Amino acid sequence: MVTDLHQSAVASPTLEKTKERREWLRSLLIGLVILAAIATIPAYGDPSLLHTWTLIVMYIVLAQSWNFIGGYTGYAAFGNVAFFGIGSYSVGLLVLVGLPFWVGLIVGGIVAGIFALLIGLPVLRLRGHYFAIATLGTAEALREFIAVKDIGGGGGGLMSLPLPSLDAYPFLFYAFVGLSVVCLLITVVLVHSKFGYALIAIRENEQAAEALGIYTYWYKVGAFVLSAVPTALAGGLYAYWATGFDPGTVFDRGISIEMVLLTFLGGTGTILGPIIGGILFETASFQFQTSGLNLHNTLLGLSIVLVTIVLPQGLIRLFQEFTRRSTPGLTLANRFMEGLRRVRRYITANGI
Amino acid sequence: MFDVISQPTAFSHVSPLERENTPYPSFLKLMDVTKRFGGLPAVDTLSFSVRRGEILGIIGPNGAGKSTVVNLISGAQPLSSGSIYYQGRDISCLLANRRAYLGIARVFQITKPFMELDVRENVLVGALFGRHQMIYSAAFRMAEELLEEIGLAHKTHFKGDQLTIADRKRLELARALATGPQLLLLDEVMAGLTPAEVTEAVELIRKINRMGITIIVIEHVMQAIKSLSDRILVLHHGRKIAEGQPETVLSDPKVIETYLGKRYAQQQDQLKQVNTDMLNEGAQYQM
Repeated sequence: MVTDLHQSAVASPTLEKTKERREWLRSLLIGLVILAAIATIPAYGDPSLLHTWTLIVMYIVLAQSWNFIGGYTGYAAFGNVAFFGIGSYSVGLLVLVGLPFWVGLIVGGIVAGIFALLIGLPVLRLRGHYFAIATLGTAEALREFIAVKDIGGGGGGLMSLPLPSLDAYPFLFYAFVGLSVVCLLITVVLVHSKFGYALIAIRENEQAAEALGIYTYWYKVGAFVLSAVPTALAGGLYAYWATGFDPGTVFDRGISIEMVLLTFLGGTGTILGPIIGGILFETASFQFQTSGLNLHNTLLGLSIVLVTIVLPQGLIRLFQEFTRRSTPGLTLANRFMEGLRRVRRYITANGI
Repeated sequence: MFDVISQPTAFSHVSPLERENTPYPSFLKLMDVTKRFGGLPAVDTLSFSVRRGEILGIIGPNGAGKSTVVNLISGAQPLSSGSIYYQGRDISCLLANRRAYLGIARVFQITKPFMELDVRENVLVGALFGRHQMIYSAAFRMAEELLEEIGLAHKTHFKGDQLTIADRKRLELARALATGPQLLLLDEVMAGLTPAEVTEAVELIRKINRMGITIIVIEHVMQAIKSLSDRILVLHHGRKIAEGQPETVLSDPKVIETYLGKRYAQQQDQLKQVNTDMLNEGAQYQM
């Protein structure tokens, strides 16, 4: 009996630790299961379904990479589409020269990383609205530059690539899914790394973070580069997939806004937020788009309003609030009601 | 030239020549430090020094520039003019994070816990960075030890925003200690605490001081600062008006006048008068 007590006393801290570990492990597993489920889509052999889901997964990747700077570091970057466009144009230009597609992809990632570093150095000295506006301006300027200089060569920056073979479409789909898995893994590692803690500290309170010895400036630049590279890779894949694009499509500020919205809908600074938000919003958006109503942009605007009013913390946090451990000994029905009550309180506390 | 209390180890990394040339070999030395917000000086040509291992109390009425002094020493705000020497080294131009790396930690007047992180992770961040820049496992162990020591071990899983004021202050203190400081700046840590909690806090600060950490305390709770401080510095309109032993400083009529108001000083005077009158009367009565 006595030894039992001792054992339990010794075991409890390790139990706590495993419980903590389980939290991110659970997120990782759920994320992998969702992505694995999505990966079965080419098996149905429906080209239009594949087309839709390729774009959905692309948006998930974009939201995941925006999450690094916007979600974890708390810097509302509104110009991340610039990196997407850089990726697209790198692939486009190098494929036209005759180099293999993957060379363009790698070059695009590197160029976007360097661009993020160079832009980040001045821009990340700004905070709040100023940072958001400066990033937005950067993306707009880059789009105009490429259009005016006609970088694509088809007039107004338009670029046409040779059509890939038909079996390239499933391959590109899998490439997007793979990229999303990589982003998921990076996020999971980030959350419990020194780098990740620095970013979260910056988001929570930059002054306190500095007082603790965190060189906030370089960590912010690092987060900006980290969010730029996967975005550019997605842009490169998109270029090869779409074959024809102009600055208006790959530097569309709507893409920047969608990155932000998807992350906010799911939950900023969470592992699963961008994935959940991406799937929910984009499936709805494509429904509105393909059903001939053409209301997808209305949906976009409406969603922004609703999310900011009702769900500024996102669906994941709402779910966490719902399932949070309550007083022991409640029946399942009571616990459910308690959860609902908590969710209501949570939403009303956010401003309604 | 060297003061007695400062140990020579404080300058072990400074070359002998440099040591000769360093005008003020105290642990921390502020020289003609001025900070202007717009035209108004919040701190005006302030000079003082702190010896290694002491507790220096800074008091003064609201708006005297106490918190600004802490911001200037910790590097949260840049100096307008003057210079700050820390362990014989000019740190006036260093960034806040660099100063934390050199061993200057602070506790904010308005607590700033990282709300999304739990208590342990808050302290962990301090240990990961700060002076030691620890690796994760070592930082984790240090966080556990510190929380145990500071009395938050049973709340490691609470989020920053689920804590009471007293616990938030404890958390801030633990986080600052996790950075491995040699100089700790405490900006009104006892504001908003109950008398019992103040007593606890005083004990805790003494304990931290005994660990060999030099401390600057800014406080409004007179009783606490009087019993804690080795020396007290009084600020008024950003200028130093008195400095010295707690008893002598607090009984200085100039300090009483500025800090507690002219009327209070007059009352004290009257009280003294009444007392002596009564004494005289008593003496007369006895006669």
